[in-house]
Amino acid sequence: MSHSFHLDVDRCTGCFACAVACMDQNDLETGDEPTAWRQVFTVETGTFPDAHLRYVSLACMHCEDAPCLLACPTGAIHREAGTQVVGIDADLCIGCHSCSIACPFGVPRFGADGKMQKCDLCSERLTYGLEPACVRVCPTRALRQGSPNELSQSVERRVAERLAGES
Amino acid sequence: MGEKDRMDELERRLRAKIPGQDTGIEVRKSICAICDPTTQCGLDLSVRDGRIIKVEGSQENPHNAGTLCSKGAATRQYVYHEDRLRTPLKRIGPRGSGEFAAISWDEALDTVVANLRRLGAESGPESVVFYVGYPKQPRPFVQRLALQFGSPNFCTESSTCFTATAMAFKLVYGQMAGPDLARARCLLVWSANPFYSNTTAARHLFDAIDRGMKLIAVDPRLTPLASRADIHLQLKPGTDGALALGMAHVIIAEDLYDREFVAAHTHGFAEFRDYVAGFDPARAAQITGVPAEKIRAAARLYATAKPAALMPSAAPVGHNTNGVQNYRAVFSLIGLTGNFDVSGGNMVAPFSWLEISGAGFTTRQHEFEMPKGWADLPPRVGAARFPVWAELVDQAQAMDLPRQIRSADPYPLRGLMAFGLNHRMFPGSAGFLEAIRDLEFICDVDLFATDSARYADIVLPACSSVERSELRCYPEKYVALSQPAIAPLGESRSDTDIVFELARRLELDDPLLNPSPGGVVEPDAAFEAAMDWILEPSGMTVAQLKQHPGGMPVADPLPNPERKYRAAGFPTPTGKMEFASSLLAKHGAVLTIDALPTYRPPRHSLEASPGLAADYPFILNTGSRLPMFVHSRTYRLAWTRSLRPRPAADLNPADAARLGIRHGDEIELATPSGAIRVLANLTELGQPGVVHMYHGHAEADVNLLFDPDYLDPISGFPGFKALLCSVRRVERPPLEEGPRDADLARASGEADR
Repeated sequence: MSHSFHLDVDRCTGCFACAVACMDQNDLETGDEPTAWRQVFTVETGTFPDAHLRYVSLACMHCEDAPCLLACPTGAIHREAGTQVVGIDADLCIGCHSCSIACPFGVPRFGADGKMQKCDLCSERLTYGLEPACVRVCPTRALRQGSPNELSQSVERRVAERLAGES
Repeated sequence: MGEKDRMDELERRLRAKIPGQDTGIEVRKSICAICDPTTQCGLDLSVRDGRIIKVEGSQENPHNAGTLCSKGAATRQYVYHEDRLRTPLKRIGPRGSGEFAAISWDEALDTVVANLRRLGAESGPESVVFYVGYPKQPRPFVQRLALQFGSPNFCTESSTCFTATAMAFKLVYGQMAGPDLARARCLLVWSANPFYSNTTAARHLFDAIDRGMKLIAVDPRLTPLASRADIHLQLKPGTDGALALGMAHVIIAEDLYDREFVAAHTHGFAEFRDYVAGFDPARAAQITGVPAEKIRAAARLYATAKPAALMPSAAPVGHNTNGVQNYRAVFSLIGLTGNFDVSGGNMVAPFSWLEISGAGFTTRQHEFEMPKGWADLPPRVGAARFPVWAELVDQAQAMDLPRQIRSADPYPLRGLMAFGLNHRMFPGSAGFLEAIRDLEFICDVDLFATDSARYADIVLPACSSVERSELRCYPEKYVALSQPAIAPLGESRSDTDIVFELARRLELDDPLLNPSPGGVVEPDAAFEAAMDWILEPSGMTVAQLKQHPGGMPVADPLPNPERKYRAAGFPTPTGKMEFASSLLAKHGAVLTIDALPTYRPPRHSLEASPGLAADYPFILNTGSRLPMFVHSRTYRLAWTRSLRPRPAADLNPADAARLGIRHGDEIELATPSGAIRVLANLTELGQPGVVHMYHGHAEADVNLLFDPDYLDPISGFPGFKALLCSVRRVERPPLEEGPRDADLARASGEADR
């Protein structure tokens, strides 16, 4: 069974709780460059008085057919047994940035040691039945984690409830 | 499994911070006090070898239900920050220099007590001012200490936050009434963004929207909440009163008001109706900038979608030179539409503890903090200048401190005993520092070596909420008496321990603050004895609460029926809801204020001061919450700071284009009082003509731009949300950061080692 994140964009308020919880869980150092593993973006469209704001929180998608994994020349990027998470073994990373070129989401980050780092979906926590830190902290429950089909099912249920409510 | 595999697995679990016997990681319960009591979330702290290694929201606490905000998630950096004070300090250089030497607690407390006694003997105890900033937890204890010492001058940061909202509610209804979100069919959110200021409400708001609740947002900004509203009334800052009066006009003209409630339970409706006749939607639109059709639509929706609730904010409407009057107009809509004290509307709930009502029990907090009446004491600071405040609020109004320190009118002020002093909460913040420089003795108790603490003679190190015990309760009928999750850092102590120590050394004749005169009662025991006395009406005891450090449901919570006014009336002078205030009528002549909630534009605005507006054409709106900061409390944390590393003002792209300003350019914001330099953050969050700047930055303190007397005559609140300023691009490179607090912390840290 694969795991992935789901973000309900309607519920994301750009509060950054997920980003900081990730820093706390993973002891991330923050500096001048955007090295955090989870990034929150404000997307603005239109102009006053018809402007619209949306917020999107993003981290590694843990793709089924992960381009970074295929591009990695040393095998540092691998698929973990069990959780199917796309993991990174820092000992094997040579800092070549091939993963950055391959990743369609802009996920790979490079720390002071020049090695790639990114979200591992808190895979060790998943093993013990704990949610990823970013999911646990989310004040609006916008961010969730699970199997893609189960996540889709719960989204579909909410749509059904809304449709029933409006009829 | 081989030995190596087992070691690898343990290593992985340690790295992932998985609690367990083999990892030595234990989960301990506590409470986050980085922000306000209405939010303060339950914490699960992962502790290893006595040190916190990770923080999560506590799932058993129904208020946050496992979640946290970005500030609370940074608890670890807050608790272990290098600026934490670790020992008492004595000032050895000039005020503000930051030159301090570490001293013992005995020497520090003896020095404080000797000075308080000396000033009390020479000039009367009223010459010593007691002050509490953040956190709010020690307030009842410091207030009792002040009054038992004999000083009426207990004041808090609520001199600029929340109290104006409470005053407006009290002037209209004699009491406050909170929104019943769970049952509302329509929610009118008036200038609040709970997604950033009260994140525990966030999931409930979305759940309500999902079940079909209509949302009206009044906000000058396009906040994440406003961007989800069915109707967003994007008014010009400071025009809230005109918008509310415009809505009242529609509700009355279209006969959508609750005739029965108005006839039976209100005072002054005829005058109110006549006054709002002048605020037809066209005029309200002209003042507020909100299209008349939207005002009509919002008024109709709020008045007809019964029940409808109104969610106010702590400060934004009150931060205006006409703030209380504007908020009275807003709150009048609740009674006008029959939504007062009804399920799904705004409910009155019995007061529980520390700003929280409706936790299902009551306490003796008021009796505890008011051992004497105001009539038995000299007049409080601000009492003559803000008489309405003095009648409604059991505190001194701190905004009048600089004036009285300078003038000694009506009597001299010579000492300041502060817990969490922050000069940057005062309008004209530099002037506040200048004023307290002249005080003979200042003691500041704080977590961090702050810029304000540099002015103190004695600095005492407080511990954070995770290192102490405090009572916290929640509207979910839940209560917790937290217990220390880790030992206090260095020699730091809880604020309340310090209060009890001072009471003992001052030999106060008060069994609750000084339970064994001359004896050796531990402060912990004194705190618990006082809490037991305070909790007496609740039927709960400290012993019982201590068994549940993560909290417990309140047993047999007090019932809260609807429409209590039918039997009890309203606690106002007329016993009714007052459209026209009896209390303001009494003080009207002196303060030139009206009994009706009349609208006046901000004192500095295009309408009220066109000459000024010619040179300072932008409306300056300060302090609207950013998600990662709460006042000045999380600027110093690397994690939250990384999300907005430099002070920046929000500017609409249309204005920026006109002024030749690009995103990230350095700009200057200026008023006749001062100027600051910040980065330009171009965003549609703000409307054209308005600049938004968050407060409390050490490098760019926006309160320097305010005149200290830019105040609401009713509440004394500064007009932080509507000033005039100019904006221009600066060519020169960014200013270097000035000397900061680190040296103070270092002095304290070295002594600790």
